[in-house]
Amino acid sequence: MESILSLKEISKYYPGVIALNEFSIDFKPGEVHALLGENGAGKSTLIKVISGAIEPDAGEIVIEGKSYNKMTPKLSRGVGVEVIYQEFNLIESLSAAENICLGEKYGHFVNHKAMEEKAKEIFDLFKVDINPKDTVETLSSAHRQIVEISKAISKECKILIMDEPSAPLTVNEVDSMFEVIKTLKKKGITIIYISHRLDEIFTISDRVTVMRDGGYVATLETDDTNREELISLMVGRKLKENYPKTRNVQKTEVLRVEQIYGNGDKNISFTLKKGEILGFAGLVGAGRTELARLIYGADKKESGKVYIEEKEVEIKSTTDAINNGIGLIPEDRKNQGCFLEQNIEWNIAFNNIKYLSKATVVNDNKVKLIANEYRDVLQIKTPSILQLVKNLSGGNQQKVVIAKTLATNSKIMIFDEPTRGIDVGAKQEIYELMNELAGKGIGIIMISSDMEELLGMSDRIIVLAEGKITGELKREEFDQAVILKMASNC
Amino acid sequence: MKDKIIKLLKKYTIVLVLIGLICLFGLIKPVFFSWKNFTNILIQQSYVIIAAIGLSFVMISGGMDLSIGYQMSLVGVITTISMMWYNIPIFLCIFIGLVTGIILGLINGLAAVKLKVHPLIITLGTMTIFQGASYIISNSNPIYGLPDSFKFIGQGFVGPIPFCVILAAIVALVASFILNKTYFGRYIYAIGGNEEAAHLAGVNTKRVKLYVFMICGGFVALSAIILVARAGSATSATGPGTEFTCMTAAVLGGISFKGGSGKIWGVITGVLILGVLSTGMQIIGLGTYPQYIAKGIVLLAAVGFDNYQKTARVSKEDKKQLENS
Repeated sequence: MESILSLKEISKYYPGVIALNEFSIDFKPGEVHALLGENGAGKSTLIKVISGAIEPDAGEIVIEGKSYNKMTPKLSRGVGVEVIYQEFNLIESLSAAENICLGEKYGHFVNHKAMEEKAKEIFDLFKVDINPKDTVETLSSAHRQIVEISKAISKECKILIMDEPSAPLTVNEVDSMFEVIKTLKKKGITIIYISHRLDEIFTISDRVTVMRDGGYVATLETDDTNREELISLMVGRKLKENYPKTRNVQKTEVLRVEQIYGNGDKNISFTLKKGEILGFAGLVGAGRTELARLIYGADKKESGKVYIEEKEVEIKSTTDAINNGIGLIPEDRKNQGCFLEQNIEWNIAFNNIKYLSKATVVNDNKVKLIANEYRDVLQIKTPSILQLVKNLSGGNQQKVVIAKTLATNSKIMIFDEPTRGIDVGAKQEIYELMNELAGKGIGIIMISSDMEELLGMSDRIIVLAEGKITGELKREEFDQAVILKMASNC
Repeated sequence: MKDKIIKLLKKYTIVLVLIGLICLFGLIKPVFFSWKNFTNILIQQSYVIIAAIGLSFVMISGGMDLSIGYQMSLVGVITTISMMWYNIPIFLCIFIGLVTGIILGLINGLAAVKLKVHPLIITLGTMTIFQGASYIISNSNPIYGLPDSFKFIGQGFVGPIPFCVILAAIVALVASFILNKTYFGRYIYAIGGNEEAAHLAGVNTKRVKLYVFMICGGFVALSAIILVARAGSATSATGPGTEFTCMTAAVLGGISFKGGSGKIWGVITGVLILGVLSTGMQIIGLGTYPQYIAKGIVLLAAVGFDNYQKTARVSKEDKKQLENS
C-alpha cells in the first residue's frame, strides 16, 4: 500500500542537542501507528515537524506524493493533519458544538442549528451520547477528549496525531476512546499514536516505531513483537559515562516518612540517609511532585508521619518545612521558583530574608554578602548581581532558584526536575553541586523524568506509579527496563 | 552617558509630565506659579495621597480595593458621631476612627483569603455593605459643627506648612520604609509578583494579604479623618469616588495592575498630576466636565506610553538575542 505520509532523512538541531537525526518513517493510510521512545527521544520534535510548528534543518516531507521541505501550521491543516495535544485545547464556556465548529462560517451569523447538527452527526458516528448543547465545562474528561477528536475530524482530517491522549483519562474512559479510534480507522484516517503506556500500544496499534536519541531504531508489526523487545529497543544503549557521581551515603537517617496519604498519593513510606541521593522515577502524573509538596507542607496531607533525624515533626506549612531544614527546588522555575521581575540579590536572599533582618528591617549588607557568596558557589554567570532574573538564561535562573533554597541551610533538599530545559554545561554544574551537597551530608531527593540522569546520579531509586510505590532499586540493581516496567505498573 | 540619561528620563517620565503640566498652566496663567496655589493643591491632595498609598499596598500585593471610598464614608461618620453625639474626647474619636478603618480592612482581607475570590469582586461586595452601614449609622444626616481642635487636622498650619501635608509626608515615609526596607515589604512585592513562588519560599501568603488590607484600611481611615476635618462636617457621601481617583493615580504612578511592582513616589506623583490638572484647568476657566475628559486622556496616554516603551524594549532585546545566537 502506498504511504500517505513519509518523512525522509529529517534532521533538526538545537544548540548542543540533535533532536532528530536523519529520521525516516512511513505512515500507511488507515493505520494506527504508535511512536515509542523515552523522554527526549524526539517524539515531540517529530510531531512539530509534521504539524509545521518547527522547520526541519534537513530532509523531505512527502504527503500523498507531494514533496515539501518544510510544513507550516496552515499548510499542514490544509493537507489534512490535525494534532490532539495532551492538554485539552477547548474553550470551556462554549458548548460542544461551538467548540467543534470553532472558526467555521455558516453565512454571516452564528448558526447554532447547523453546528449542532454537525456535532450530532459526529457523535452518532462514535456512538457516544453527548448533547451538542452542553458546555464543555460540564463534560467528563473522556467526553472532552471526544469533543477534541470530533473537532479534529470535522476539518477533513486525514492524519490525526494523538500525543499521550490517555494521560487525562481513567481506565474506562481509555476504552471508550479506543472505540472512537477504531471508528476513525474504518473511515481510513491515519492515526499517529504517542503513549508511554505499552498496554495501550498493544491494544490499539497496527505498527510501532521505536525512537531513541532522535534516531530511528525500528518499525515493527505490533502483532509480531512483545513488551520485552520494545523495552530493550527503547533503552538499547549503555549509560553514558558523563555523570560525575560520587558516593557519600552515611549510615544515619535524615528523613523518614511513614504511610503518607494525600494529593492522590497512597501509603508512601521511605527513608533518606545523610549524603544520599534518592531518585524518584515514574511517569508524568505518577504522584512524585505531589509527594514532594506533601512533605514540604505546600499541600495538606491526609495522614502520615514525617521524622527528621529520628524526631517526629509536624509540617503544616512551607514555613514549617524551611524551619525544619527542608528545601524544595520546584519543577517549574518560572512560575514557582523565582521572582522574574526582581534582581538576583533579592531572589537569593528571599527564602532567608526574615533571618537577614533585625526588628523586621532588612540588613542590606548581610543580603549582599549572602547573595555574593551563593553566586560564587553556584557560578551564576552575570555581570551584576543586580541583574533582573528575567534577563538570565534558563540555566542561570535555575541556579538562582537553587541558591535561594541553599541559603536557608537545608538538611534535606528536594530537587524536582532540576535540569529540565537547561543547557548541557549548566546541567553538569548542577550535578557536581548535588555531589558536593551530598558530600556535606545533605540528604537529596531527586525527582526526574530524565532516566539517564536518574540512573547516573541516584544512590537508590524509588519508582512511583499512580500514587503508589511500585518498586525500589539499589544502585547495583539499576536497570532501565525494570524501572520502566515498574513505572508503567505492569 | 547618553544611555544613562535616557534610562533616567524613562524611569521618571511621569515626574516630567508633572513638571510639564505645571509649566504649561504657569505659562497660560502666571497666577498658577504662586506659593498659595501650590499649598492649596497640596492641602487638597494630601488626603488622596494617603488613601492612594493605602491602595498601593493592596495593589502591589496583587489585589484591589474598590471599597475604600465607602470605608472613608463609614470612618468619617463613625468618628464624627462619636465626637458630636456621644461627646467622646477627640483623640479617642480619632483612635476609634483609625481602628474602624483597620477592622474594615480586616473584613476585606478575611473575605478575600477565606472565599478565595479575587479582591476586586470581594471589595465590590464589601463596598456596598459599607455604604449601607454608613447611611444607617448616620441616618442620612450630615454631622456639623466639628470642634476647631479637630478641624486643625485638616485646616491647621505648623509654621508655613499645612498640618495635613505633614501627615501625608509622614505616611509616605513610613510606607516607603515598610515597602523598601523591611522583609514584610519584600513579602508584599513577592506575593504580587509570583504568589506560588512566595508560598513555596515559606511565606504565609494569607497572613500577608490580611496585613496588607489592614494597612490599607488604616491609611484610608486617616485619609477620611483629614477629609472630614478639612470640610468641617461629615456625611455618608463624604469619601465615595476617592477609590477611582486613587486607582487612576496609582496606575498613572506605575503601580502594576497585576501586582509585584510600583513605588510610593510614583503614586504621589500620580496624585499630584491629577491635582495639578484639576486646579490648573479651573484657574484657566475650564469646568469640572472638561477636567474629567483631560484626566482620562492623561491616564490613557501615560499607560499607553509605558506599555509602548516596554514592548519596544522587549522586541529590541529579542533582536539582540537573535543576533547573538
